[in-house]
Amino acid sequence: MRFNLGFFLREAAKNMRLNALMSVTAVTTTAVCVLVLGVGLLVSAHVEGILRGVGKDVAITAFFPEDAPGAEIDAARRQVEGYPEVQEVVFVSEGEALNRVKDMLSEQPEVMEGLDPGIMQASMEIRLADPGTSDAVAERLRAEGFSDENLNYPQQTISQLNQVTGYVIWALRAATVLFLVASVLLISNAIRISIFARRKEIEVMKLVGASDGFVRTPFVLEGLAQGLLGATIAALVVVWGNAMFVEWAGNALPFVPVSSSAVNTLLVLIVLIAVGVLIGIIGSFLSVRRFLRV
Amino acid sequence: MINFNNVTKVYGKDSIALDHVDLAINPGEFVFLVGASGSGKSTMVRLILKELEPSAGSITVNGVRLSSIPHRSVPRHRRAIGCVFQDFKLLPNKTAAENVAYAMEVTGQKRRAIRVKVPQILDLVGLGEQAEKYPDQLSGGEQQRVSIARAFVGQPPILIADEPTGNLDPDTSVGIMQLLHRINRIGTTVLVATHDKEMVDVMRKRVVALKGGRVVRDMVRGGYANEV
Repeated sequence: MRFNLGFFLREAAKNMRLNALMSVTAVTTTAVCVLVLGVGLLVSAHVEGILRGVGKDVAITAFFPEDAPGAEIDAARRQVEGYPEVQEVVFVSEGEALNRVKDMLSEQPEVMEGLDPGIMQASMEIRLADPGTSDAVAERLRAEGFSDENLNYPQQTISQLNQVTGYVIWALRAATVLFLVASVLLISNAIRISIFARRKEIEVMKLVGASDGFVRTPFVLEGLAQGLLGATIAALVVVWGNAMFVEWAGNALPFVPVSSSAVNTLLVLIVLIAVGVLIGIIGSFLSVRRFLRV
Repeated sequence: MINFNNVTKVYGKDSIALDHVDLAINPGEFVFLVGASGSGKSTMVRLILKELEPSAGSITVNGVRLSSIPHRSVPRHRRAIGCVFQDFKLLPNKTAAENVAYAMEVTGQKRRAIRVKVPQILDLVGLGEQAEKYPDQLSGGEQQRVSIARAFVGQPPILIADEPTGNLDPDTSVGIMQLLHRINRIGTTVLVATHDKEMVDVMRKRVVALKGGRVVRDMVRGGYANEV
């Protein structure tokens, strides 16, 4: 048989107009579910982003002996910069170290009175590409002649942070999957109710000699359109909400490294809309099937 | 055209609807299937449409054994049988013309053909003026005419009517029967299941009487009652 797309599209559009309330229900349900899913995606993306940001702050500090000549310091710096695990090396001179302490104690300047600048040690702060490699890097530094007292790296903090990061990310992924399952159930239920109201129509169509596919196609197109509409609304709200959140967090929570780069906006849009469309198609397909056995 | 070969249909465990029924309907015949409610008329109609499967025996329609038709070919089988029901079974969201057109869309016919054919057939059943009305704007008799138009638009070799006048007053019923008669005269095999006594008596057509799932009478020019 010829696939008469024009006829099916007209049928689907007419059905939606005649069953406007049901269409609104299906669109709203899809929108709410995709919204929840989208928020889940955003939360997990931001948490991952923040954890990555925190991990970036974890650095190994290697102090140079007080009597180390400048040439030796430079050589050590260049050498460490060559390590593959190292992302960045920042040299902190004695003077800079003193300034930092002064900044930290700016409320109580009297503490600093009469302090000998020589008390501070020059150091380099080594940022790692992956916090998990801190042990290996520390080992290398020890081989380079840095004694344990001159190395400061929060080894335990790092390994704990890695573990926690893993747990949080997995929990968020599990929650996202649960949301997804819940939305499929909710939406196919909404579609089933709307189709149940029209089961007599389906029966008549089949008695007139319509094949299953012929009866089903307008319903599936309807589900597709409803899924698309609901998901698009929700996806736009999610993306807009994300932009607002990033802006708000930048002002209100300056210590938390929330960044807009943690979320790939386009990808989120595409994923959410695709999920909505798929749910609409699958939901209507499964729901009609139950009423086709005439 | 329609052959029942020793057909038995049992619902559930022991509710016998048809009991070893043999019946042969030839092409071009007009046959009344009469009997009280529960005598098995509707079961026969539903078996012919392959809505139900017989418990025993075989049915041949249009030279095809129904048991040999796979599930996916059932729609094709049904398109060869025009069907009219007591409750009309029109699609409520479609106008009279759209209801008739739907039967043609189903078979994948071109829009142009549909646009030509639908008004013709509605004129034929006397509803040319009502084409754009919805079923709930039409009287019972008019709705039944739409349903006959829909059944006949594909020019099926067989037309089956299950209590076509069951919901209609006598005057309206006469018009419906005349319509079915006209369809029969142009060569369509017509099978009418009914317990409309008056109608059967007036028409003087072949009458097959069912009682308790058995054929108790088969007369060439019969009446409804048990007369000779």
